[in-house]
Amino acid sequence: MVKLTIDTRTVQVAEATTILEAAEKLGIYIPTLCHHESLKPYGGCRLCVVEITKNGRTDLTTSCTYKVEGGLKVKTDTERIRKVRQLVLELLLAEAPEAQGIKDLAQKMGIKESERLKAREHDLCILCGRCIRACREVVGVTAIDFAERGYVRKVASPFFKSSPDCIACGTCVYICPTGAITMQEVDEGQSAQVPGGNEIAGPARIIDNWKVGLAMKRCKKCGEIIAPEFQLEYLRKKVNLKEDHFDICPICRE
Amino acid sequence: MVNVGALERLKEEGMKSLFPSTTKIMVGMATCGLAAGAHEVWQLLTKEVAKSKTDAVLKKTGCIGLCQHEPLVDIIKPGYPRVTYDKVTPEKVGALLEGAAKGVFKKGIMARIDEEEFLLNGTHRRYSKGTLPSTLRSVVPYRRLPFYKKQMRIALRNCGSIDPENIAEYVAKGGYFSLAQVLREGKPEKVIDRIKASKLRGRGGAGFPTGVKWEVCCSAQGSERYLICNADEGDPGAYMDRSILEGDPHSIVEGMLVAAYAIGATRGYIYVRMEYPLAIERMNLALAQAGKEGLLGKDILGSGFDFEIEVCQGAGAFVCGEETALIQSIEGNWGEPRPRPPFPAVSGLWGKPTVINNVETYANVPVIVAKGARWFNGIGTSKSKGTKVFSLVGKVNNIGLVEVPMGISLKEIVFEIGGGIPQGRKFKAIQTGGPSGGCIPKDKMDLLVDFDQLTKAGSIMGSGGMIVMDDRTCMVDVAKYFLSFLEDESCGKCVPCRVGIRRMREIVEDITSGKGSEEDLDYLQHMAEAIKDGALCGLGKTAPNPVLTTLRYFREEYEAHINDKKCPAGVCKPLITYSIMQKKCTGCGACLKVCPQGAIEGKKKSPHQISVEKCIKCGACFEVCTFDAIIT
Repeated sequence: MVKLTIDTRTVQVAEATTILEAAEKLGIYIPTLCHHESLKPYGGCRLCVVEITKNGRTDLTTSCTYKVEGGLKVKTDTERIRKVRQLVLELLLAEAPEAQGIKDLAQKMGIKESERLKAREHDLCILCGRCIRACREVVGVTAIDFAERGYVRKVASPFFKSSPDCIACGTCVYICPTGAITMQEVDEGQSAQVPGGNEIAGPARIIDNWKVGLAMKRCKKCGEIIAPEFQLEYLRKKVNLKEDHFDICPICRE
Repeated sequence: MVNVGALERLKEEGMKSLFPSTTKIMVGMATCGLAAGAHEVWQLLTKEVAKSKTDAVLKKTGCIGLCQHEPLVDIIKPGYPRVTYDKVTPEKVGALLEGAAKGVFKKGIMARIDEEEFLLNGTHRRYSKGTLPSTLRSVVPYRRLPFYKKQMRIALRNCGSIDPENIAEYVAKGGYFSLAQVLREGKPEKVIDRIKASKLRGRGGAGFPTGVKWEVCCSAQGSERYLICNADEGDPGAYMDRSILEGDPHSIVEGMLVAAYAIGATRGYIYVRMEYPLAIERMNLALAQAGKEGLLGKDILGSGFDFEIEVCQGAGAFVCGEETALIQSIEGNWGEPRPRPPFPAVSGLWGKPTVINNVETYANVPVIVAKGARWFNGIGTSKSKGTKVFSLVGKVNNIGLVEVPMGISLKEIVFEIGGGIPQGRKFKAIQTGGPSGGCIPKDKMDLLVDFDQLTKAGSIMGSGGMIVMDDRTCMVDVAKYFLSFLEDESCGKCVPCRVGIRRMREIVEDITSGKGSEEDLDYLQHMAEAIKDGALCGLGKTAPNPVLTTLRYFREEYEAHINDKKCPAGVCKPLITYSIMQKKCTGCGACLKVCPQGAIEGKKKSPHQISVEKCIKCGACFEVCTFDAIIT
């Protein structure tokens, strides 16, 4: 166990705990954006910066990546911290003015758009990389990644073409903090356009951003839609299940 | 048991090669020489020497520092001083060879070297015997040239004096004996103690104590340890590392071997940017030679110590000079930094404890081993020991590579070593530390150069770039340039760097095109401070420095752009209109000739005029006018 001070309070936590987790334990709020409890620490958005003092030296660091150390003194709300958080949100508000997640966070923290930064007509993506990391770390597929670098960086499927690996699980859609990734369910009897590709007949699922449209599989017993066929095939192979394992839905199987 | 038989043999061979019994001709064949035309000179020399049937030997050498005078050709005739001809063209080769053959020294000798220094064992060997021929007496010795007088060459000890493609010459200069010494002592911890005692600080930028880094790595848990040499030098106008890689690659190999032995590493990587093809070629050759002589690989010099080195090529990303991004790149991942801690010394390449040092740091190591920590820490200031290599570029007379003891003043570097500002213009500022550094103004020129003083002035030591700026440099434009550079090079991982630098650049660009406002300066300051505190890695954290220092020292220039809509230096095109001061114009016609638009009119010997309608503001007339008659 490690003992440290956060703001005025002392807390004892297990080794390898991050400052963010330790603060959560004390109920101290630290804003986050690129962080997600299911993903590895990333440190990209810089919203969760805190001030740490160690061996007489004070520095700013991201609480989501910094592992606690004995005797560490942490401050979670100082002038220096507020300055960084304010700039990060001002920048993001100007980059993605329509992103509700950013607007909500800014409002919660009392930060307004900067008059000096012209708002852009940008898409909703703020490049936090949660979708990429979830796809790689949680789903284990790596259907998408960053393309290009710096300001022109994008999240993309390989060569901006239809992702051949995407299983349309929707994890990226769910984990995106700004709603930048969209998914469509195409009903039976209907059809829809896959971005950059052909029309697909329902029942199907489309992940617009990765230009993927996958046909859904129905349960042989009850006829209900289970999931995209390609996804079930991926899962079956991954855990080495019998060829007909997903022919019947989990409910009918019970 | 350490067997130095191979070293003794190489030393003997190397001495013969360094001081042959026949005439030796050396051509500076580093990138600076090649860019100035050394290859053509080399080719012609090869042909002519073969044709002449003399027994003269032709050798390549690295950069001796006087890049502005390249191509440099040295002639060493037994019994005479080593003489250097500068700015040699193929046309001059014939006369030069004729002179060498007859023992007559022709005009055009820039300087002479009477004795070769063997820094590692503290000896000298004279070239000349007896009295100097009268033609050479008036030739100034290198050490008395203003450019060299205040220099002290430790990291660059062999650059420009040995053939970098010949391991024997390196050994003859005392090379690899430091390795033999530490292997013989058999106490890795003693090596670390020595480096710690020398107070050597990393030459890559941040100046972290090298010995402490090695110690941390050594005591970190791990089944394996790695060693990396960071040769991903990318600051605009900086080429310190390139010159060492090209001119003395074995000094890096030996430094790495000593470090590897100290920390117990078995594998090392040299990460060189692919834009340095010659450095890569010479380094690979050096590694092959060292391997062949039993200085790399298994059971080095019979000591039982194993170490391998591999060259890794960067793929053109400036951020890969940042250590965590560099490690990611070697591992085959995106070249983007990750938060520290953990520091590479604890968890680096493949998650194993890793020491990563800069080229120049390693080049210092064999010297510290040979001369002792006390010798080394006797040089420099209280907290910055030893010397530092700088590439002195920009608006300065002597453009080149210099190595000076820490604690020398900026004034001495610019006005004595650098020889001042060309064309009698006024000095304005010096930019140190690359894009992450800052601009230091005229009234701070007494500043004594070391890690802490430069930081105090708002700049950084960085890897050692120094760009001199004269009164025709616009400081707002300089800030814009560095911001654009960093905007292009930002990896994009963190928000302050990816978006912040872009937005700062846009604001500064507005200012340079007359669209700025007074409030912009406060907002720039706000952004700069938050980015400095909030960005993930060193690139982002230091990116606002050029803006912060120019705002601190040259605020009035920003204000002139904003309030008067004028660029005092006459650089920012949207804010300038060229005109000719009738009083000063002599009607020489120089401007009229260079104007690509035919916008200038006037009779010879009477004042000229510029047509505002036709002028495209290219500045050609401004550059060419020697009477300062063209104003903006």
